[in-house]
Amino acid sequence: MGCFHSKVAREFRGHEDPVKLASETAFSVSEVEALFELFKSISSSVVDDGLINKEEFQLALFKSRKRENIFANRIFDMFDVKRKGVIDFGDFVRSLNVFHPNASLEDKIDFTFRLYDMDCTGYIERQEVKQMLIALLCESEMKLADETIEIILDKTFEDADVNQDGNIDKLEWSDFVNKNPSLLKIMTLPYLRDITTTFPSFVFNSEVDEIAT
Amino acid sequence: MAGYLPFDEPNLMTLYKRICKAEFSCPSWFSPGAKEVIKRILDPSPITRISIAELLEDEWFKQGYKPPSFGQDDEDITIDDVDAAFSNSKESLVTEKKAKPESMNAFELISSSNSLENLFEKQAQLVKKETRFTSQRPASEIMSKMEETAKPLGFNVRKDKYKIKMKGDKSGRKGQLSVATEVFEVAPSLHVVELRKTGGDTLEFHKFYKNFSSGLKDVVWNTDGAPEEHKA
Repeated sequence: MGCFHSKVAREFRGHEDPVKLASETAFSVSEVEALFELFKSISSSVVDDGLINKEEFQLALFKSRKRENIFANRIFDMFDVKRKGVIDFGDFVRSLNVFHPNASLEDKIDFTFRLYDMDCTGYIERQEVKQMLIALLCESEMKLADETIEIILDKTFEDADVNQDGNIDKLEWSDFVNKNPSLLKIMTLPYLRDITTTFPSFVFNSEVDEIAT
Repeated sequence: MAGYLPFDEPNLMTLYKRICKAEFSCPSWFSPGAKEVIKRILDPSPITRISIAELLEDEWFKQGYKPPSFGQDDEDITIDDVDAAFSNSKESLVTEKKAKPESMNAFELISSSNSLENLFEKQAQLVKKETRFTSQRPASEIMSKMEETAKPLGFNVRKDKYKIKMKGDKSGRKGQLSVATEVFEVAPSLHVVELRKTGGDTLEFHKFYKNFSSGLKDVVWNTDGAPEEHKA
């Protein structure tokens, strides 16, 4: 089916092959194609260059260019795997993969650890958590006395920082999450299960055997 | 049912011709009831074609048919406990009044109003399915105030320790509105109350929350911008 192949090739030119991406992630080829529809709309919203920049990411998340928050910035940085300041399609799919309901617990735990380890030292420091907390409270316009914030941090670190060295390391984090599974709530997007219906793609990849998930 | 299409032609024009003339045949193993319904569905004339209302009344169609129920939304891990709490549990040893609310740590606070879900929404989410407020009142006071406020709004209330399940008695656009709430302790004398729509229409949840939170004025310290959209 010559004309079919060139249609697929044309569609994905300049981007990673959906079949390859599907083989490396929990997504099926049709799901990767559906993600491409989403990617296309986000990456063309400000600059139509096939890449998602910071502004486009914010726009997609908050539906407003002006809003940003420390959490979203961190997520952008993590999706920007190659540190280019932009997210390409491969980065997009691989990063979203961790949020798939079928992704491994280990990957989710690892992602959250790196999320909170803002300066990438390999430890979640108290100061980092304080920063994120203050930023969140600021945004929700909840003012808490510094004393109260310290109390919240004290309690959290008492629970999580087992060796009481003022930092949470990978292992301590892992144990902490296992005791508090709600910490991983943000790491699963049930939307990903219905992605092919939300973003129908008209590139029919009839060559690939689809196993219904 | 048949294992093949009623109209299957290699050529589009021929295909359309057959559809317009309703030129199809049902396999011999189809029951008369099935054949009849299919004939009426594949009727080329929209005037005589069976309507949805009529279809729902068809004898053959009704066999084993379960009408859709507007089920509960996926409940997240935190509020999932509500179901467990209301099921047959033998936790009668601890008196409810003495137990403390679940505590919420710094990370839970940080991540509580952040989610990537919005990436998948095509338009601004004017109304969210969950919200939260903080309170400096004692947990037991928050609980009783919430119960007091929900009842006159026409909600049936079921309490368990520091969780409440509320169900509206009126059936709205998507069935009855049901809301799950839980009180968490963030620090001594600082509580966060989470509310989540577990069934029904989101716009109705928004309306409910407006009334509910104004009734809770004395208890609410800060509300998370309500389920309304953030100020850009």
